[in-house]
Amino acid sequence: MRTKKIASVALLGMLALAGCSDSGETAATSSAPPADKKITVGFSVYDMQYEFFQKMAKGTQDAVAAKGWEIKLHDEKSDENEMVTGASALIDQGVDLLIISPFKPTALGPIIAKAKAKNVLVIVNDIGGGGTPYDAIVISDNAGGGKLAAEFMDKQIQANGGAGKNVASITCEPSATYAARRNAGFKTEIEARGYKVVAELSGNSKAEEGYKVMKDILSKNPDVAGVFSCNDPMGVAAANAIKDAGKSPVTDVVSVGFNADPEALTAIKADLLAATVAQDPTAMGALTATLGEQALNKQPIQFSNEAEREVFNPVTLVDKTNVDTAG
Amino acid sequence: MTTRTQIPLGRLWDTWGVTALLVLLVLCTPVIAPGFLEIENLQSVLRESAYVGIVAVGMTFAIASGAFDLSVGGQLALTSVVTLMAFNGGGTAAAVAAAITTGLLCGLVNAGLITQLRVPPFVATLGSLFVFRGIAYLLTQDGPRTLPYEQVDSPFAKLGSLNFAGLPVPFLIMAGVFAAGWVLMHRTAIGRRTLAYGSSPSAARFCGISDTRIRLFVFALVGVTVGIAALTYITRVWTADGSAQDGFELKVIAAVVLGGTALKGGKGTLIGTFSAVFLVSVLNEVLVSRGVESAYQRIVLGCVLIVALTIDGLRTRFAGPGSFRRALRPTS
Repeated sequence: MRTKKIASVALLGMLALAGCSDSGETAATSSAPPADKKITVGFSVYDMQYEFFQKMAKGTQDAVAAKGWEIKLHDEKSDENEMVTGASALIDQGVDLLIISPFKPTALGPIIAKAKAKNVLVIVNDIGGGGTPYDAIVISDNAGGGKLAAEFMDKQIQANGGAGKNVASITCEPSATYAARRNAGFKTEIEARGYKVVAELSGNSKAEEGYKVMKDILSKNPDVAGVFSCNDPMGVAAANAIKDAGKSPVTDVVSVGFNADPEALTAIKADLLAATVAQDPTAMGALTATLGEQALNKQPIQFSNEAEREVFNPVTLVDKTNVDTAG
Repeated sequence: MTTRTQIPLGRLWDTWGVTALLVLLVLCTPVIAPGFLEIENLQSVLRESAYVGIVAVGMTFAIASGAFDLSVGGQLALTSVVTLMAFNGGGTAAAVAAAITTGLLCGLVNAGLITQLRVPPFVATLGSLFVFRGIAYLLTQDGPRTLPYEQVDSPFAKLGSLNFAGLPVPFLIMAGVFAAGWVLMHRTAIGRRTLAYGSSPSAARFCGISDTRIRLFVFALVGVTVGIAALTYITRVWTADGSAQDGFELKVIAAVVLGGTALKGGKGTLIGTFSAVFLVSVLNEVLVSRGVESAYQRIVLGCVLIVALTIDGLRTRFAGPGSFRRALRPTS
């Protein structure tokens, strides 16, 4: 008797807690308008705990609102089952357009299959398309970012006195195909500027491996004048390895990362990293809404890479001169 | 032992309490989560809970026998990866065979560690959790195993999203596993012996119940349920790698414990487990539809679990002796 009462009270408490909370940004599940032809967009987000995706969601919401459309947000919470369940639910709720930033691109299959069956357009935002027939995918201009890094590195090496012509490149894990374009773009541009990439090694996207790889590079090629890393955790770690070897990551071995993570911005301010490349998740979100509108209106989309239906979003270089306004 | 009227009520609560809470919660949904009762949403809830529910059947036996199986997350990841490899190599029949075999083998490894090497179940399955996940990572070093989009029209790819008479197929499979589990627990000697063993291993041994046989039965059963769950899981998400369903073991154990299966063993309620699986997913659904942030969702679910365990503790304190004898009775 007593335990039953405790349980009932406790559960009612939970329900009250659930009931009282503000419904925030997520639309209630039953708000599909039956009569008027207002466009409804569903956006399934990778994980709303990360700042990158919060900005992406904000950019998408603002752009969708500006068109006078409605948006329903879903948080995948870094879980492929939640991703499939929630995105399928958005389709069930009758969205006209599904935008998805997939936690696991390889789990896009069942979602795209359902969308196709219900004639819902799908725009993927970042991460990957998993080899599925999505309508378009927005990604950062990774190769362009690598090019920006090479241009900066060349200038900085010359400013440093510029004798060295050997540079190094640290790559992400081999399966990250979009990220690999950063190192490829870097290599093409830096070689066009007369440098030689003497070492191109994988740090598997991890800081500790990036540190180790940089130590190896420094012992085998003590004359490297610059290093480009595929992401900031490795970029900052490589810069630390340079510092621990008694050199400066700005004036001796020009270190450039990618992503503009907070740790990288802090490092740039403290001369512990020369530069990084910033993606713009807000603009990426806005771009998906624009592409969605074109697709809904059956207008042709200008792809940056037609074969994979990719649309690139520009990136920017962040160094000491503009670090205070970045992030 | 108190008065005669109170004990049946207490036991009624053990079996049906969570079900009552689930009904109460669902009755509240028109007010607290409008749209919840829409048919497609209900189907979605039934579908997404299936793979947790199926393994929860095996876990109910494990916990009722007085042991945890912490390795189910690793088992699910490994089984899913192997099953996708088998499907891509040999089609549906190969996939089904691979799922059940891999799950069963994982269970036998656990049983072997526990009965032959005398490692306590908690430690043995904690270790094998890492080993199974590790193998799954090794098999997916060059990227996740997937069900390619070209297979979109194959029956296997559709299994996870198909409905039969309005009910999602994964849910029907789960219901079948629960029914089989109920028969196994209450209508067979091995099922009753498992409860007796969980209630008091030493008394069970005295009655001639073999430790080895109980452990082998329980952990093999968990493995087989993982195999079945993996089939519903991968036909739903079409992909698997070493990180698949991280923390899965805790979801499953939470459902079983919330359902009223005693942590110290000896008492298992599959009806409770069944309702608890849905109590968690309905509560989750309500929180999501109200726009509660995922951090608060975790806190609420954690609180529900703590309350359930508190109740379990209170009940145990007030419960009298005799659960061992009760366990051996043909029906419960």
